[in-house]
Amino acid sequence: MGQTQAADALALYRMMRLIRRTEEILIAEYHPANEMRCPMHFCVGQEAAPAALSLQLRPDDVIMSHYRSHGYYLAKGAPLDAMIAEFYGKATGSNGGLAGSMELAHHGFHFYSGAIVGGPLGLAVGSAFAQRYRRGGSGISVAVFGDGAMDEGVSYEALNLAALHRLPILFLCENNRYAAHTPAPARAASHDLIARAAAFGVAVRRMPDKNPLELAAAMNVIVADIREGRGPFLLEVETYRFCGHVGPESDDHLDYRPVAEVDAAKASDPLAAMLRLARAAGVADAALEEVDASCDEQVWSAIRAAKAAPFPRFQDLRGIEAANGYAPVVRELIDAAPTRFLGGQAETRLRPY
Amino acid sequence: MSKASAVELASTPRAGRATRLSFGAAVNAAQRQAMELDENVFVFGIGADGKAGIFGSTAGLKERFSARRVFDTPISEQSLTALAAGAANAGLRPVLVHQRFDFLLYSADQIANWIGPWRYISGGHATMPLTIRAIVGKGWGQGPQHSKSLHSWFAHLPGMQVVMPGSPADAKGLLLSSIFSNDPTLFIEGRSLYAMEEEVPDEPYFIRLGRALVRRPGKDVTLVAIGSLVPGGLEAAEQLAAERIEVEVVDLRTLVPLDLETVLASVGRTGRLVVADPGWRDFGAAAEVIASVCERVGPALKAAPQRVTWPHRYAPTSAPLEAGYYPTSADIVRACKSAVAGI
Ligand SMILES: Cc1ncc(C[n+]2csc(CCOP(=O)(O)OP(=O)(O)O)c2C)c(N)n1
Ligand SMILES: [Mg+2]
Repeated sequence: MGQTQAADALALYRMMRLIRRTEEILIAEYHPANEMRCPMHFCVGQEAAPAALSLQLRPDDVIMSHYRSHGYYLAKGAPLDAMIAEFYGKATGSNGGLAGSMELAHHGFHFYSGAIVGGPLGLAVGSAFAQRYRRGGSGISVAVFGDGAMDEGVSYEALNLAALHRLPILFLCENNRYAAHTPAPARAASHDLIARAAAFGVAVRRMPDKNPLELAAAMNVIVADIREGRGPFLLEVETYRFCGHVGPESDDHLDYRPVAEVDAAKASDPLAAMLRLARAAGVADAALEEVDASCDEQVWSAIRAAKAAPFPRFQDLRGIEAANGYAPVVRELIDAAPTRFLGGQAETRLRPY
Repeated sequence: MSKASAVELASTPRAGRATRLSFGAAVNAAQRQAMELDENVFVFGIGADGKAGIFGSTAGLKERFSARRVFDTPISEQSLTALAAGAANAGLRPVLVHQRFDFLLYSADQIANWIGPWRYISGGHATMPLTIRAIVGKGWGQGPQHSKSLHSWFAHLPGMQVVMPGSPADAKGLLLSSIFSNDPTLFIEGRSLYAMEEEVPDEPYFIRLGRALVRRPGKDVTLVAIGSLVPGGLEAAEQLAAERIEVEVVDLRTLVPLDLETVLASVGRTGRLVVADPGWRDFGAAAEVIASVCERVGPALKAAPQRVTWPHRYAPTSAPLEAGYYPTSADIVRACKSAVAGI
C-alpha cells in the first residue's frame, strides 16, 4: 500500500501541477500578446477531478467533455504541445487550428469537447453504446460536464438511456456551484444533483475534491465497476473555480459570488492539499521539485513550439472539405461487380413508368 | 398598450429629442420602454439580471422592474422557449434572450412544431406574441458553436417573423415592434454591431416590420444589405461613389416579412442586384431575395445577381483563417463592380 500510495500521490501531484501551471502560464501569456485568439475557459482550482481520472483511464477509453476541458485533455494523455498549438490557432494544433479551446479535441487520444452545454452527455452515451455494441473491449466513456449541464433536458434523456442500456459510462459532474455567473439557487429549487441521476437507475456518489488521493481511490473502484459491466455511474465532484468563467481575467468584479467564499475556496486549494498528501505519503522533496521544474519547462517549450509553428491555410483544407467517400464495403462491391454501382442501373435512368 | 398606440408605425423614427446610443444600449432602451408601456412584457434568459447584463443589453432592467419581470434562468433553452410560448398564448409578451444564436437550437422543436404553427392551427384564434433575441457571435475565435447565424432556417418557417437590424436606431424601433407584434419574432443581433453608435430617438417608436429602408440612393446597382453587413455595405457604397459607381443601399431590416416591393422598385431603377447576407450562402436568405427578384423581373436585369455571404464552411478559430472568413466591404465592392461590369 505504502509504495503504490506514494506512486499515486506523485502521479496525482504531477498531473495537478501540470494542469495548474498550464493554466497559470497561459493566463499570463494571453494578454497583451493576444496570440491566443479564442475564448478559453480555464480550470484553476478544479485540477483534482481530471488528475484523479487520469489514473484510471486507458487508451481505448473515450472522454466527451464540456469546454472547461484542458485538464481532461491532459488527463487522457494527449500531448500538451498540440493543445497549446491549437490555442495559438496553428496547423500543428490537435484540431489543425480549426477549433481553439472551446471545441478542443484529439481524435487519436479519443478526447473530444464542445461548448454547447449538455451535448457531451448525449455523445458519451453514444460512445459507450458503441463500446458495448462491439463487445470484447473493456473501454469506457466519460462524460465531463458542469453543474449547469444538469439544467438541460438532454442530460436527463442521456442518463435514462445510459441506465436503460446499462452502458459503460462515467458521468463526471464538476459542481463548482455556478453556471457562468448564475448561482445554483437561481437555477433550481432542489440541489441534490445525484438524487436526480439515481431516480433514473444510475449509481451515484458525491465527493469533495479536497483530498485528491481519496477521490482517485473512489474513482478507481467506480471505473472498475463500470468496466465490468455494472452499468453507468454519476460521480458529482464538489469543486471551485478560482479563475473567471471565461478568459484570463478575474470576473469577481461582477459580484456574482461572495468574496469570502472565493477566499475560503482558495485557502483550501486542492493542489496545496495534494502537495501535503504527497509528502505524507513519503514522496521525496527532490521528486516534487523535479515535477515543479519539469511542468514549467513543458509548458514553455509547448508555447515556444506553438509560436514557431505555421498557421493553417484555406487551400490546405480542401481535402477535409470535400466529400468523405464511402465505407470500404462499397469499394469491394464495385470492384467485384462494376456494373452494380457504376452505370448500367436500369432504375437510375429516367424513363416513363 | 394604449399609450404605445399613440405613436404610429413609421418606417423611420419621428423627429424629436434623441440621444447618442450604442446598439446594445438601444436594445436595452427598447426593452425598458416596452416594459414601461406594458405590464405584460417580461425579459428573461441566462445572465439577463447580471451586472454585465448580456453585453449591456439588459443591464439595469432588473433594478428598474424587479426580479418578477427580469430574471436569470437555468440552462434549459428548450423549456424556456416553451415557457415563453405558454405565457404568450396566455397573453403575456415574453422576451427570451440568448447570448449566442447557437444556444437556441435546443429550442428548434418548440419554434418549428409549436410556436410557428400556433396561431394558424388555432384557426386564427390564439396568438403567440413572443420575441426571441439571439446574438450572433463574431471574431476572436468564436468558432463553429458560437458564431452561427441561422436566420435562413427560421425564415423558412411559416408563421415566424425574422428581424435583423443593422443600426442602433433601427434596433430600438424594430425591437419595440417585435415585442408588440402579435406574432412570434426571432430578433437577431450581430455582436459586431454592438459598439456602433448613432442618434436614437428618446421616445418609444415602432418601425413597421416588413418595411425595408433605402439607406443611400444610387442608380447603378442595388445592394440589399442584411443585419451586420449593413455598415459594410454603406462603406462599400461610399468607396464606389469615389469611382463614380452609385450604389443604392437597401437595408432589408426584416427577412420575414420580406419587403420585396422596395427591393423591386430599387432594382427597377438600377437593373442590377447584389445581396450581402451575413450567413452561409447555400439555400440562404440571399438566394431567396435573388430568386424572388428573378421570378418577377429576371429578364429586365442587366447583369447576373451577385451574393456576398460567408463561405460554406464552419467559422475557423485560427486568427488568419477567421480573418479571411468573414466578408468585408472590399468583397461587397468587388461584387458591385462585377455586377456593374455585367459579369
Ligand atoms: C446550450 C448552451 N446554452 C448556454 C450556453 C452559455 N454558457 C456557456 S458556459 C455556461 C455555464 C455552464 O456552467 P456549468 O455547466 O456549471 O460549467 P462551468 O462553466 O461551471 O464549468 C453557459 C450558460 C452554452 N454554452 N450552451
Ligand atoms: Mg458550474
